Amino acid sequence: MDTPEREKRSIPSIDPAAAGGEGITRRAFIHRSLVAGAALGAASQALFPLISTLDVAYGAQEFRFAWISDTHLYPKTLNTRFVEKAERAVNDVKAMKPAPDFLIFGGDLAQLGDPVELQLGADILKNLSLKKYFIPGEHDWYLDMGATWEKLFGKQPWSFDHKGVRFIGLDTVSRGPDYWSAKKMTPAERMGHMATLDGSVAGPWAGVGADQLQWLAKTLSNWPKDKPVILFSHNPLYEYYPPWNFWVRDWRDVQEVLRPYTKVTNIHGHTHQVLYNEIGTMRSIGMLATSWNWPYPPQGVPALTVPMVRVDPGDHFDGVGWGKLTMTAKERVDYQYMMWRKDVFSQTQVDSGTGDNMNQILSPRFADRP
Amino acid sequence: MKKGWIYAVIVCSVSLGIGLLGAGIGGAHKVKHTPEQLKAFEDVFMEQVKIGDLLFHGDAATEKKLGTKLSRTGMACAMCHPFAVDTHPYEFPKFQEQINKFSTLRDMINWCIEKPNEGEILGADSDAMKALEAYIYWSNRGSKLDPGRH
Ligand code: HEC
Ligand SMILES: [Fe+2]
Ligand SMILES: [Fe+2]
Repeated sequence: MDTPEREKRSIPSIDPAAAGGEGITRRAFIHRSLVAGAALGAASQALFPLISTLDVAYGAQEFRFAWISDTHLYPKTLNTRFVEKAERAVNDVKAMKPAPDFLIFGGDLAQLGDPVELQLGADILKNLSLKKYFIPGEHDWYLDMGATWEKLFGKQPWSFDHKGVRFIGLDTVSRGPDYWSAKKMTPAERMGHMATLDGSVAGPWAGVGADQLQWLAKTLSNWPKDKPVILFSHNPLYEYYPPWNFWVRDWRDVQEVLRPYTKVTNIHGHTHQVLYNEIGTMRSIGMLATSWNWPYPPQGVPALTVPMVRVDPGDHFDGVGWGKLTMTAKERVDYQYMMWRKDVFSQTQVDSGTGDNMNQILSPRFADRP
Repeated sequence: MKKGWIYAVIVCSVSLGIGLLGAGIGGAHKVKHTPEQLKAFEDVFMEQVKIGDLLFHGDAATEKKLGTKLSRTGMACAMCHPFAVDTHPYEFPKFQEQINKFSTLRDMINWCIEKPNEGEILGADSDAMKALEAYIYWSNRGSKLDPGRH
């Protein structure tokens, strides 16, 4: 998009000082206190970013970690666009000062689960020498049912404690009900259906599963109820537009296990878009993909989500990026979308990824139905 | 003056219609459609929707059959437009800032083939174009017609 058009799309900037301090830019908006939020709300329109502070009872030193997910790498012989963006995210994380304590890779490293793609991803991420944790996405799994993934990145779920926070990584992808055996699908066909977001064949594949729920309950059982828990999952842990499998089918059971814990933050990938929600005491943050942006579904975007801007389809660096998460000394986590182009949040209806669709009514596809 | 011209056309066609009805002359549109006929029309349409759906989802066999190359990035339309979301067929024609011109749906289909997909654009009246258009409209049926909206 050339300059005059970009200007048409952008809105007069907000004075960072008035907005509650340093570090607030329109490109990478840091979520700050509710007090600052009120000031911002008054200074702008209702569509301006909702301020959402993630309070975490951690009183000592500040630390940061980085999130990269949804790189969806194809073999380099097909296309290098997604490779370039994955490399850019890695270089950005490398350049973080002070360095983050660790990186969480949130799944969908590969596009079609091809070992070549997964190995390419492993090689790109090798350039980061810091500690790395991995959770799988459905695109990493359904060609060889996780064989290559586990060989390269180990098993999930896992948990570790870091500076007063219990971190947990879930596997929300591997327990999809068998839709392939009866139809005698090849592994590539199975993967193809999984990779089609608006397809109907793979069914409600995302789930935590009874065994992993039990593991979660046990893992939390020796953790004080008022201490912070940060839960990583590929898919969001609430009901978000099931026709596109933007959810985890047994999310209610997950909430049941989490209910006693008062400071749970879920950070997830898979939705490739700015997303925020609160379910019970759990706060949920959806991170960007590095590869491409999913549009918002026609219904079900959480009311607490401040939508991101409409994306320029002519610029493949628009609407995508990675994430910085900071546990501050003031006992809260700030999260920052590191989007490579434009502003993150929409500030007018017409530029919003949801607000421009008031006339839209959609029907599910049918060509993949029997 | 322009308005007057449109008015004249409307009056003409309305009276023509009444004339035909009144005269009771047998013609293609005069005879009542049989359920079989209606079904056949519907089938023709849905066949195109289906082809469009497959093209939109990057189906290699359908692309081969129609001789199209809609993408060179590995990405299909549906990866950015699941259920044909955000294709906004009910907003056309409209000024399109990406191409800086007053555009039709077909212009924008071709634009997305050319830009994000790096594929080969379609003839405006080609079979593949009509099928894609059929699928996009069908997926968005019931949406409020609102031409010109950005
Ligand atoms: C990489 C993502 C991507 C791919 C792939 C893609 N598009 Fe798009 N397309 C977009 C975005 C983003 C927009 C802008 C939507 C908006 O402004 O709300 C758009 C706009 C459009 C529009 C115009 C909508 C409007 O209101 O201006 C049409 C029609 C369209 N795409 C059709 C297609 C078709 C057909 C294909 C496949 C040949 C395709 N697109 C592939 C991202 C994509
Ligand atoms: Fe993804
Ligand atoms: Fe995913």
